Amino acid sequence: MRISTLAPHSSHSSDTATAPLIRVSEVTKQFQLDDGREIQALRDMSLELGQSEFVALLGPSGCGKSTILRLVASLESPTSGLVEVNGRPPAELARQHRLGVAFQDHALLPWLDVAANVALPYKVAGLPVDGKRVSELIRLVGLAGFERARPKQLSGGMRQRVAIARALILAPDVLLLDEPFGALDAVTRRQMNIELQRIWSEQRITTLLVTHAVDEALFLADRIIVLSGRPGRVIRTLEVPFARPRHADIMRSEAFHRLCDELTDALETPVEDTL
Amino acid sequence: MSGVLSERIRTLLLGSLGVGMFLGLWEVVGQLRLLGLSWPPLTEVLALLGTPARWSLFGRALGASLEALTVGYLIGLICGIIAAALAHLTPSLKPGLDRTSAVIHAIPSIALAPLFILFLGRNATPAALAALSVFFVIYVATSSGLSSVPRPLQDLVHVLGGTRLTQFVRLDLPAALPVLASGMRLAAPAALIGVIVGEWFGAPRGLGVLVINAMQNFQIPLLWSAVLLAVLVSLTLFGLLGLFQHYVARCFR
Repeated sequence: MRISTLAPHSSHSSDTATAPLIRVSEVTKQFQLDDGREIQALRDMSLELGQSEFVALLGPSGCGKSTILRLVASLESPTSGLVEVNGRPPAELARQHRLGVAFQDHALLPWLDVAANVALPYKVAGLPVDGKRVSELIRLVGLAGFERARPKQLSGGMRQRVAIARALILAPDVLLLDEPFGALDAVTRRQMNIELQRIWSEQRITTLLVTHAVDEALFLADRIIVLSGRPGRVIRTLEVPFARPRHADIMRSEAFHRLCDELTDALETPVEDTL
Repeated sequence: MSGVLSERIRTLLLGSLGVGMFLGLWEVVGQLRLLGLSWPPLTEVLALLGTPARWSLFGRALGASLEALTVGYLIGLICGIIAAALAHLTPSLKPGLDRTSAVIHAIPSIALAPLFILFLGRNATPAALAALSVFFVIYVATSSGLSSVPRPLQDLVHVLGGTRLTQFVRLDLPAALPVLASGMRLAAPAALIGVIVGEWFGAPRGLGVLVINAMQNFQIPLLWSAVLLAVLVSLTLFGLLGLFQHYVARCFR
């Protein structure tokens, strides 16, 4: 991973107690298309996540929100700017097996059963499989009894539960969720949000969630960052006022609906007006 | 469910009907000598195959061909898998290996056989030609199987901190198995062709030798018996490897 240190404030000597866990600073990301044209996915993007913070990136499709997540996951490197986790390049965190991820595509291995899929991070890390923890997590995501089932035998929601369990199995420092429930129907999605909220409130792993669903961001996150269309820029930041653990009832409250409307309005604001 | 079943039965019935009609036609053409003496009736060929006095002859030929087939098949299989894995793991080798295997495949094995006779001798040529045909099929199947892993799975192993080798062992290899199994099935008839062509060029014994000798001595029913044996070997291998492919596909897809 290439890191170009631009800003003087990005030195590693800052006090780690107050420093953010994840720092994306002045990142620009360009992609080259097959026909040679260049697309700017992100321009001068900066954001920070504190320890044990749950941040949602909310934006229309094509705003580069997934690119931010892929940068933090070390799946992409920035064209310019700096991405750090705990003051180190994110690839280091991945190499130390301290990253948990769940994508929109559940990315389960079709030839492994549920238990083996959840245990995969142990195998990849070359660690002995902790069978007790595997069954604990399967129970946590509500799949007890399905340990021996293959992914193709499960519903879409159940597959995402497996993916969530797999993301949590090594108790990672950082959890990255890229529209994990994006392919699910509205009812299942809501149910999964409620369960993810419950699980997260128990573990409080620093989490970056990418979503285009306003209610999902509002129900799950401590802070919501709203991005504009391409190239993605921050147009609004919202501190979510609801206390944890959150009950599903808050989704019916007036405050929730008001914030939903506000965020939806922010999403719909034409980019030119925000310049 | 019953719709699927009746569809299957229908396919099976129509298939057997087709094979039956072909065998019937064979018998009729032979009995009436429609195509002269060189086309014997099916019953005559089967009767010869069923003659105990001939079994040792057929057995020796079959044994020699199966041995060459097994040796050639295994060599081609192992070399094909190793070459494809090498090309997959070292991208700089891939274009070269792709092209080399395509060139090898483009040379008709019948043109290579005399060279093999000179270099390897009469005994080893059938197995060598079989290995060559198998190599190409297995190389192509394994290559495409190894690169069939969906992007999200690769990303996952990368984010989990997996090395290139971890990805190869945990993802690429298992994902390649179904394609490899279907390649193994297709390679079996190709291997038999290699063996028989190799035997034509003067192996001491084998089905190909039996075919050539019977043809030169105008032993028409014997010629057809040997051909029929070769067909049976080919179909049996194809069927067995088909079952294997089915099993692998169920486990790894």
